[in-house]
Amino acid sequence: MTTAISVEHLTKRYDTVTALADIAFDVQPGEIMGFLGPNGAGKTTALRILTGILAPTAGTARLDGLDVTEHPLEVRRRIGYLPEHVALYPEMRVQEYLAYRATIKAVPARGRRARIDEALEQCALTDVPRKLIGRLSKGYRQRVALADCLLAHPKILILDEPTVGLDPHQIRQTRGLITALGRSSTILLSTHILPEVEMTCHRVAIIDKGRIVAVDTPQALRQRMQGTEVVRVELRGEPGAVEEALRALPGLAAVTRQGTRDGTSTFDVETQPGADVREAIFRLAVERRWTLRELAPRQLSLEDVFIRLTTKEET
Amino acid sequence: MSTLWALTRRELQALWCSPIAYVVGAVFLFLQGFVFWLLIAVLNDPRVDPAFTLAQFFFGNTFFYWFAALITAPLLTMRTFSEEKRTGSIELLLTAPVTDAQVVLSKFLGAWLAYVALWLLTVPYFVLVHSLAPLDWGPILTGYLGTALLGCVLIAIGILASSLTRNQVIAAVLSFVALLLLFSLGILDVFIRDPEGSKVIQYLSLIEHLTGFAKGFVDTRPLVFYLSATAICLFLTGRVIASPRWRA
Repeated sequence: MTTAISVEHLTKRYDTVTALADIAFDVQPGEIMGFLGPNGAGKTTALRILTGILAPTAGTARLDGLDVTEHPLEVRRRIGYLPEHVALYPEMRVQEYLAYRATIKAVPARGRRARIDEALEQCALTDVPRKLIGRLSKGYRQRVALADCLLAHPKILILDEPTVGLDPHQIRQTRGLITALGRSSTILLSTHILPEVEMTCHRVAIIDKGRIVAVDTPQALRQRMQGTEVVRVELRGEPGAVEEALRALPGLAAVTRQGTRDGTSTFDVETQPGADVREAIFRLAVERRWTLRELAPRQLSLEDVFIRLTTKEET
Repeated sequence: MSTLWALTRRELQALWCSPIAYVVGAVFLFLQGFVFWLLIAVLNDPRVDPAFTLAQFFFGNTFFYWFAALITAPLLTMRTFSEEKRTGSIELLLTAPVTDAQVVLSKFLGAWLAYVALWLLTVPYFVLVHSLAPLDWGPILTGYLGTALLGCVLIAIGILASSLTRNQVIAAVLSFVALLLLFSLGILDVFIRDPEGSKVIQYLSLIEHLTGFAKGFVDTRPLVFYLSATAICLFLTGRVIASPRWRA
């Protein structure tokens, strides 16, 4: 089976800004993949490249085995795309808009009516088919756009922040719908809400400042995050003796020497959860008369991203 | 084909639902009605050269004809691309399995059909005259033909202008200035002493072309000029639309 989405060395540079720096990931058919990252991390840029709106500066993106820049039309036949800012034609009625979209998406005229009804049903729009889109609330418009995504029964759904702007009830509905759709199609969705990923996605790619920091299942990522803390220690002393002394401290998981320069050595000390060894290290240094130059919890980029994501959003 | 038609229908619907189209239409018809009244008054004057026909006056020989043509085209085309760019709906349009050519052509057809429809609303004037006096329909038909062909160029320039900006007003101003420049080329003829240059100017003169059409000539030279200018503008529009997809 061909990989549903395969991205290699994808880079997008604007004049001075690098929006995406050499990212790579794969999505298998039937998988729901989450793109998690703070605002401005490059999520939308990546999705826009995948849909063929934007050309990458370098690298390739393949959907269903087809290069997005070489077979744009074939790729577009296979995707349903929900953009970040949903912009529809306000002067059209919901049903009319979906009929128009179904026609340009080459949904056969025979089953068109049924497809539209099905999409209306799936997105809980059955009460507004005759309403003007311009008169709908943001939540409804979002769902009209989602219904449009589903019309042609695409193999791959690309959803850019599908739950933004919805009320809690609608968010729950949409997440349920995504989970249900995941049974028949491949889904790549972006979000900056951690719980959303945990509820809907099989795998997550964490993206920050245009780089993919980690790709794993939500459970594994959480474990990795909660497991350990790292403290960076830099002190002047005989490296071998220092390492030995550090290892002897209680509450440590691992000690790795990062380097030695001009008689000072740098170590990354991983601690068990909850243990703070910084004071113990300080006392040790005083005892052994080693000059302590640095003692700081190291910011893991992954952790960084995680913290920014988890502290910003409520469930 | 059904895709192109669906896209074009959506363009027409957007015009149908926008107040701009009605304002443009009302002003256009008011102008044409005034012109018609004026022409009837003038042609009724026994001192007028009897060789002049109604069609000759109506198509291209009044200030109002050009004013109506040069002002309606920018107003009908200004929203085509700029509005979609401003709201962002262009993203959904360009991620649907439609070609750039279909998108550009549908925008063009939508605006052009509206433009032609506006002119066709003046047909009753001629029918009215026909019921009262003998009328030679030949030049009137070619006059409309010339107007529709000229409309291709005007609309295509407007579409190109609209694809360049997210702002409707800027699009309208851009295309109006471009059309005005193109139109005034024909007037420049008086200032050109060089006979070769003069020929070029004459070939580009919109007034010259239309005078021909209004006399009942269907000349292939303006035909080629109109169609090729239209094709070039639409091709360039397609390139503008595709530009974000170019590899740097």
